[in-house]
Amino acid sequence: MENNYTYVKKDLPSVLGKFGYTFLLVGIVATVLAFVFDPTRATFNSLLTFTYLMGIGMCSLFLIGLEYLADAVWSVGFRRIAEYLAVLVLIAPIFAIPVLFNMHGVFHWTHEEAVAADAILAKKAPYLNVNFFIIRFIGIILVMGAFLLILVRNSAKQDSSGDQKITWRNIKWSAVMMPFFGISITLIAVDWLMSLEPHWFSTIIGVYYFSGSLLTTFAIITLFAVKLKDWNILPDFITKDHFYNLGAFMFAFINFWAYIAFSQLLLIWYANIPEETFWYLLKFEGSWMYVSIGLIFIQFLIPYAALVSQPSKSSYKRLKIMAIWLIFAHFYDLYWLAMSTYNKDGAFFGWIEIAFIILGIGVVVTTFKIVYNKRKLVPVGDPKLKRCIDFHL
Amino acid sequence: MRDYSIEPSVVKGKPTFHEIDQTIGAPLEKAPDKKFFMAISITGTMLLIGVISMGLSVYYGTGLWGNNNPVGWGFPIVNFVFWVGIGHAGTLISAILFLFRQRWRNGIARFAEGMTIFAVITAGIFPLFHTGRPWLAHYLMPHPNDHSLWVNFTSPLLWDVFAVSTYLIVSFIFWYVGLIPDFANLRDRTKNKIKKIIYSITSFGWRGSNRHWQNYEMVYLILAGFATPLVLSVHTIVSFDFAVSQLPGWHTTIFPPYFVAGAVFSGFAMVQNVLIFIRKIFDFEHIITIDVLEKMNKIIIMTGSFVGYAYGMEFFMAWYSGNEAESFAFINRAFGDYAWAYWIMVSCNVIFPQLFWIKKIRRTIPAMFIIGVLVNVGMWFERFVITVTSLSRDFLPSSWAYFTPTLIDGGILVGSFGLFFTLLLIFTKTMPVISLAEIKAVLDGSQPSHHHKGGGSHEN
Amino acid sequence: MRTEKLFAIGGLFDNTNDLMAATGKVTDKGYKLFDVNTPFPVHGLDHKMKLKPSPMGYFALVFGIAGTITALAMMTFMMVYDYPINIGGKPDFALPAFIPVTFELTVLFAAIGTVFALLMVFFKFPDNANPLHDTNYMQRCTSDRFGIHIIAKDKLFNEDEVYDFLLSIGAKNIERIYQYEEEKIPIMSKQFIGFLVVSIIIISGASYFVFNKLMFMPPFNWMEDQQRVDVESTSTFFEDGFGMRNKVEGTVLKSYMPDEYKTEPDSAGIYLENPLEYNEKNIALGKAKFLTYCSPCHDNFAKGNSRLGDQFPKPPTLHSKKLREWTDGRIYHVITFGQGVMPQYASQVTKTERWAIIQYIRTLQRAFNPGEEDFEDGK
Repeated sequence: MENNYTYVKKDLPSVLGKFGYTFLLVGIVATVLAFVFDPTRATFNSLLTFTYLMGIGMCSLFLIGLEYLADAVWSVGFRRIAEYLAVLVLIAPIFAIPVLFNMHGVFHWTHEEAVAADAILAKKAPYLNVNFFIIRFIGIILVMGAFLLILVRNSAKQDSSGDQKITWRNIKWSAVMMPFFGISITLIAVDWLMSLEPHWFSTIIGVYYFSGSLLTTFAIITLFAVKLKDWNILPDFITKDHFYNLGAFMFAFINFWAYIAFSQLLLIWYANIPEETFWYLLKFEGSWMYVSIGLIFIQFLIPYAALVSQPSKSSYKRLKIMAIWLIFAHFYDLYWLAMSTYNKDGAFFGWIEIAFIILGIGVVVTTFKIVYNKRKLVPVGDPKLKRCIDFHL
Repeated sequence: MRDYSIEPSVVKGKPTFHEIDQTIGAPLEKAPDKKFFMAISITGTMLLIGVISMGLSVYYGTGLWGNNNPVGWGFPIVNFVFWVGIGHAGTLISAILFLFRQRWRNGIARFAEGMTIFAVITAGIFPLFHTGRPWLAHYLMPHPNDHSLWVNFTSPLLWDVFAVSTYLIVSFIFWYVGLIPDFANLRDRTKNKIKKIIYSITSFGWRGSNRHWQNYEMVYLILAGFATPLVLSVHTIVSFDFAVSQLPGWHTTIFPPYFVAGAVFSGFAMVQNVLIFIRKIFDFEHIITIDVLEKMNKIIIMTGSFVGYAYGMEFFMAWYSGNEAESFAFINRAFGDYAWAYWIMVSCNVIFPQLFWIKKIRRTIPAMFIIGVLVNVGMWFERFVITVTSLSRDFLPSSWAYFTPTLIDGGILVGSFGLFFTLLLIFTKTMPVISLAEIKAVLDGSQPSHHHKGGGSHEN
Repeated sequence: MRTEKLFAIGGLFDNTNDLMAATGKVTDKGYKLFDVNTPFPVHGLDHKMKLKPSPMGYFALVFGIAGTITALAMMTFMMVYDYPINIGGKPDFALPAFIPVTFELTVLFAAIGTVFALLMVFFKFPDNANPLHDTNYMQRCTSDRFGIHIIAKDKLFNEDEVYDFLLSIGAKNIERIYQYEEEKIPIMSKQFIGFLVVSIIIISGASYFVFNKLMFMPPFNWMEDQQRVDVESTSTFFEDGFGMRNKVEGTVLKSYMPDEYKTEPDSAGIYLENPLEYNEKNIALGKAKFLTYCSPCHDNFAKGNSRLGDQFPKPPTLHSKKLREWTDGRIYHVITFGQGVMPQYASQVTKTERWAIIQYIRTLQRAFNPGEEDFEDGK
């Protein structure tokens, strides 16, 4: 290895572990209670958590693949963080299990009498039926899981061998992964989010879900990276120049999300066809109206203003705050998407939602801690590492 | 397999700055040769055919075209969307790849931006004449008039007016700003008195001052930052022309990103095709290398895959929606009167570009050229399929009709290619087709090597 | 023309590493009025020259916001206040529909504004009179060398010191750059006046031509001469050349009901019946219309004491036995088509009003010729 870089393994501060385990424990207890007190609402929240975490996991894989395909250099120092997060593709499905046991409470199309009485739902039945749904679900986990293991194991192998052929192989596997990724992320959006309102459809739903998830993935990577820097664990060669790129990508995808969200709204609003507009009207009903207007500010206007200037994208403080903001904004976005099915009259937020948020945070932090201890933070065998170290804007 | 630990060179052969000036400036010094005149007579003839066809259309009216009821939109709109799409590759290369700091774009950015401007000019002709009374085209812009009429701001056709005009102006400004240092270079090296005066005027007196470069670079970054959402918005607004309607096959929410991806797809194919000629004719093979072409082909397959994804989503949702009109629209596309157009489109857009997964094909000139041509054919047909099949089978079966283009339609299409290529040929002889300043900035060894590790961020 | 006044001394370098080192030395020495000329932007040079960050971003922000406000204000004025139209049932202020134009104008204003600010305010372009032009120094700096020049106005400037200093930091081809002679062009010079006169002629000529002549030439005048028949004009379409046409024999206009019983008063009396109910409302209507239209000739009580003096002969009283025996339909005929000197009142009172008038006349007749049933207890 001609990297001239010696990796020193530093331990994560114990506060992170304590934080993670506390949230995990409290979260588990609270969510179990939630299932006891209000199973349907808890199931909806479980679905929300699943789509959130699965999106993060899949987009982390996407970013790993993208780095290989685009021959990117600046991100090599951050790639391991993405690799840690990618494990979520195997962990997020845990949150799907309660939903699979309570399909009836969540998905209208599982009600056989309703489907039999409704001509349109009956037409969709070859796709929207429980068996095929589960097959798709398992298929996505298997496929994404396979790519996770291939890419991440190769990357780990390269730490010791420094073999450039591994990079070459990962590039090829990344190329193969991309079409599967596209289909998988679309299916998650179609099956778990769009089918909540089975009469509704939108060809852009996959892209919408992808844009929000990818933005959040950047945010989580940024947050972890900044925290690691604060704890002096992140290697010194990662400078403001590297972080600038994370900030720039967050900014770019704030814009991209807004573009996709606006396109969907404009087209459905403009054509004014009742079979499509009802979905938006659900989100303008009662207090949902405030949530919808809030979404524009929370997911677009405020983060846009906070990250538009050049210096903001390389300020650690700004990046950390906006990363946290965007992580919650994505929850807000998915909540807005999914929850009007549960309660059409108005928005709701209570201890059950908080329970699942706490559990979700606990899961992510604990996963990160466990995988961090298993693998090096820096891909020491990566041939592009030296170029990453030398990277300047 | 290359060595991933080495930063790849953008330009091969380690030319000096002077050699770069000579190579790129050579076409501007030499008088046009026989090959040039042959090329421009071909494109000029095509242009003439277009002028005559368009002139006849203005004189006799748009009845000369194949547009009928219900296919009120025919070739003109297909051609418009086609040419605007081709323009987008230029902005993507110059603005988006700039933002991503892909240095390999420096050798092709100038040329691509020029192509953008010419493509947008060519595209702009269609809405102008499509209105039927182009001499009243000023009414498209809101201004006080004695009919007390304003334009309809809620119509996507009007958004097109604003979008394409803005796109043309901003692309032109972006292109011109990049040309200023090059004009200064030419001004200072030319021996011809008239050229010196022209270049002095066009360069505004640029001196290469670093105090100026600092602000210049910031403005270039800002322009790139604005041009990126602009290019997305232009083709999005073009897609809105179709998607805001209620017509099955037109009203799908995925149209905006699908059109943008399709535009980049066809644009890159066109740019790649033209660059293959340019690099050969002007001896730019060490600057516009096979690596550059290969990267472009990768982008072609990436955007082509998204186009394929959009086809799949449309088809799936047409079935999923349970809406008979929607399902029929898509089955009709594949098996109805225009099935031939549909399968040309699918094979050229989805099947043939998959060959670019194979590295050898990505790096072989004849193969990539053919695939590039096929992509352009396929993308033209995509716009044709979208426009004509949906319209010819609209809501009431009693109003269904088949669309046949006329010779005039074909003449105008040929003319559009003529205009585009004529402008391009003139461009190659009057301005440097590769940005002198930008390419020098990415030669090996041209930037100072950093003696300090890491270092602070640079004030940009 | 060059003068003897020194503007600056400049030296060239052939690679950026030397340039960077030399620039560092220049700033260390304390020179403030100097510049570095390069054919392309050099990384890190801004930092070495200790330049303040570029403010162009703020210009873009301000111009962009100006674009947003202009777009929204323009569309609000035009679509909400000046000429609101119901388009597809969308509200007048259709915000989602306004977004695309708003976005485009934001980008347009930001791009144009920033670039113009850059070129005209920051660079003060066009500036072809700068002393650096047409020097060997500049010739190399825009193509293949990098230059540093120190300007004579700098506080620490001393010609020989600067020359030696530049030598010491490694500059080559050191050149003294002299000022140009200041060209004073009087505002009233022949060229300027000539230019003004020519522009005036061209602009006014073009305006006159466009608005007074061109708009009446084909194709602009194609709408003036339209293939339609105008009222009160000749027509080349019809054989007889008339634009106004008569009714075709045997046809009736769509909205026109032909007059029944026009020449048959007795038939009208037999077949037409008063469709109105006898109630206060109808009689009140009839009274109002009678007083308006009938009373000038027939007087307020239908006695025939005309108020018109000698213009028209006095009509007979409506209380005669004959009139009392006439049916409502017969009276209707008189009102509708006239009788004798009395003109038709069909165009002044609607059919309903006519029947109401007749009811009122009946009331009057009854008042002046009461029958047995009209008395109660002798009253």
